[in-house]
Amino acid sequence: MRFEGRHELRAPRESVYRALTDPATLQACIPGCESLEKTGENTYAARLSANVGPVSGNFSSNIRLEETQPPARYRIVFDGVGQSGFMRGTSDFQLEEQPGLTVLQYTADFHVGGVLAAVGQRMLQGAARMMASKFFTAIEAAAQAAKPASSPP
Amino acid sequence: MGRYVGQRVKRTEDPRLIRGLAHYVDDIKLPDMLHAVFLRSVHAHARIRRIGIASATASPGVVAVYTGRDVSHKIGPVPCAAALPDLKVPDHRVLATDRVYYVGHPVAVVVATDRYAAQDALEKIAVEYEELPPVVDPEQALKGKPLVHEQFGSNVAYRLTSGEGDIESALASADKIVRQRMINQRLAPVAMEPRGVLARYFPGEQELTLWSSTQIPHLMRTQVALMLGIAENKLRVITPEVGGGFGSKLNVYAEEALLGWISIQLSRPVKWIETRRENMQATIHGRAQVGEIEIGCKKDGTVTGLRYNVVADLGAYHQLLTPAIPTLTGLMLSGAYRIPAIQMNVTGMFTNKMATDAYRGAGRPEATYVIERAMDLVAAELGMDPVEVRRKNFPAPSEFPFKTATGLTYDSGNYEAALSKALKISGYRELREQQKKARAEGRLVGIGVSSYVEICALGPSAAMPAGGWESATVRIEPTGKVTVLTGASPHGQGQETSFAQIVAEELGIDLNDITVIHGDTAIVQYGIGTFGSRATAVGGTAVLVALQRVREKATRIAAHLLQVEASRMTFANARFSALAAQAAATVGALATVPAPAADGDRSITLQEVALAAHLAKNLPPDTEPGLSATYFFEPKNFTFPFGTHIVAVEIDRETGEVQFQRYVAVDDCGKVINPMLVDGQIQGGIVQAIGQALYEEVVYDDQGQLITGTLMDYAVPKAAMIPTLELDRTETPTPENPLGVKGVGEAGTIGATPAIVGAVVDALAPFGVRHLDMPLKPETIFRAMQRTSAK
Repeated sequence: MRFEGRHELRAPRESVYRALTDPATLQACIPGCESLEKTGENTYAARLSANVGPVSGNFSSNIRLEETQPPARYRIVFDGVGQSGFMRGTSDFQLEEQPGLTVLQYTADFHVGGVLAAVGQRMLQGAARMMASKFFTAIEAAAQAAKPASSPP
Repeated sequence: MGRYVGQRVKRTEDPRLIRGLAHYVDDIKLPDMLHAVFLRSVHAHARIRRIGIASATASPGVVAVYTGRDVSHKIGPVPCAAALPDLKVPDHRVLATDRVYYVGHPVAVVVATDRYAAQDALEKIAVEYEELPPVVDPEQALKGKPLVHEQFGSNVAYRLTSGEGDIESALASADKIVRQRMINQRLAPVAMEPRGVLARYFPGEQELTLWSSTQIPHLMRTQVALMLGIAENKLRVITPEVGGGFGSKLNVYAEEALLGWISIQLSRPVKWIETRRENMQATIHGRAQVGEIEIGCKKDGTVTGLRYNVVADLGAYHQLLTPAIPTLTGLMLSGAYRIPAIQMNVTGMFTNKMATDAYRGAGRPEATYVIERAMDLVAAELGMDPVEVRRKNFPAPSEFPFKTATGLTYDSGNYEAALSKALKISGYRELREQQKKARAEGRLVGIGVSSYVEICALGPSAAMPAGGWESATVRIEPTGKVTVLTGASPHGQGQETSFAQIVAEELGIDLNDITVIHGDTAIVQYGIGTFGSRATAVGGTAVLVALQRVREKATRIAAHLLQVEASRMTFANARFSALAAQAAATVGALATVPAPAADGDRSITLQEVALAAHLAKNLPPDTEPGLSATYFFEPKNFTFPFGTHIVAVEIDRETGEVQFQRYVAVDDCGKVINPMLVDGQIQGGIVQAIGQALYEEVVYDDQGQLITGTLMDYAVPKAAMIPTLELDRTETPTPENPLGVKGVGEAGTIGATPAIVGAVVDALAPFGVRHLDMPLKPETIFRAMQRTSAK
């Protein structure tokens, strides 16, 4: 399954990028994220709870950042397993600086199995879009909060 | 038509069913009963590295957790009864051992004090998989890699060529050859009641009882006894109410044997009820054929030969009849026509999916679809009316018994009569006129015709994997009530009513004085079961013959009691009477129990004879006490019902949706015992055919994930999608059984699908469409309209 999206965040690109790669911020911003720990250079372990239509469940995921080019682009490779199935995939993020905002574009390719595939697949796109929108709204707020520290007064 | 036989008698089953008083497996609750749930593979193909069950085992309420390692060497393989030359048969264990082969493959079972505790514990089992590339598309599977079962070195389970006649010269002699690729998509049977098993073991008696929602209690008893290594006479299978089967319960499943084994281990009853999601994943699917048809014809529409090269998607394992289903397609390719040469080349493929097996029609809907679509293509090619092409190739009634190039002998038929009647009821000529007008207005109206033949009353034992006869016991109890034990296992077809009608007619007694018992191997003599539209033609005949034997014995006893010769007895309305002349000649001597009727007639009731037979104080010499007979009826041939369905549809140009305008079905299933039951069977069959034609499809994604895993995604037709069905009949009795009945359980599904598709394709003819693959979803139709603009 493949989908893509575009979000405009009213915050400088560096702040957005930092927020997107900071474990504490991510944990606060990812909907349903119970824990997120750095396990190595560019690798993280997360516990997520997710609801997709009639399917809900906990997932243990491994997340790896690849091809990082701060603050312009990076790639996430993820792999999650839970009782309601599994998901894995890659997602490419591009951040573009525009006056007063950062335009973030992403594409995601992922594959699901188990109940998620049998029951949730049809709703997955909608659910993912909604989660992405919540996530980026939270990231925007975090990046804006961080702004004073990163830009001169 | 008799007092009972041929009458629209209301189903005696229905009051308990509609009042919620019936008992399905899940309604049975035993003291101390445990509940089982299954952990199933989330991958289509993977190696199992490790299964961690410690925390599941320690979970509250859990009594046991078993994996493939615990049981595989203790329970025999899940059986496949189909025997084909060089068939590859993978070792199919009740739980996966080191590999999983399809999404839904059972990996472990948790047994707990309630279902919730079991389900909670299930989530604590940790399985480490190493994923392997799955084989999803059966045609891709032919390429060889990846392999489903490495040990076979190929994904081909078998290849088989069937048919007679010189196909090459038959095609060479044709003026035209029409070719078409056709897909018979994978379907899910979706019985309203999913599967379910309750197992209870009595360690003292060493007796195991299985309550199972099955169509074949006796065959299951034999197979499960063999799987568990227990004596067959220590296993009792009971089928309580069964909420639909459609072939999906004509099987022996892993869960049935495993539940029995668990109950033996724990000496406690244990129940498993399938969820709908499991039902979609792990109950057999049907159809799943991709083929190419070649049909040769003369300019006048005479068909010279037919070849069908087909790839059958068998799934990962063989269930009971999996490989045999496509061979039924080969048998029925001649349809209602005289075709001198027919050849089918079938390649059965392993894929990483659930097994396919018998689904209502089981191989025959595929054949009917192929031949009926081919007749439409011939008509289109030659510019003939589809009705005329069919007529051109019908054998005449005088040609029966009619031999086909598929090796069958059709018992009886009058195809023209059914066709003419359907044409008349539908007003075919006017429909065509209306179609012309509609087309001139730019409306998309189409008419489809299907003249099918179907094979029923399965069947002569020589042609069946495990016996094709059926058994019945008719017992007249001391009080005159009649008990019928049938080896058939009706599960919605209504034989409790129709068999009672046969008895009531023959004995002149009230329907309420008859009880038909089925589905308990401890009560009923061995039987084969209900499938293949066989229960009435084969099982009903067994009832009739047993009944005649009982009556014959009762006549002898009555004659003895009345002191007349048996040949001088008459029987009517449950009363034996001595013919007048004889009665006058005989004097007194009736000082026996029971007394003759008080009015002084030389007669005695059946009830009195029944009592006398059991008291056994005054029986004819060398007569056994009691009044019962058992008969096993072995049919010499199949029966071949037929009919014509005519469908008119209109397609919405904007949305591609199909609206039915007319649905006319004229079916001939031979003699009819209960027209209401026949109508019900035809109606249900057509509804399932509408499902295949327009809505239903089991879809696996390219990773072998089942994405039509619920009834939100798998589109069974709803009541509002079904048109008014105009049903009628012709009646051509079969000479193959004394009832003259042919069978009707699957006819609707078999006859309807090509008529519906034919109608839609006809509606799209202005777009140059000659064929579309099912299901004909609005999207499919819309795309077809977009590909070419209407002429």
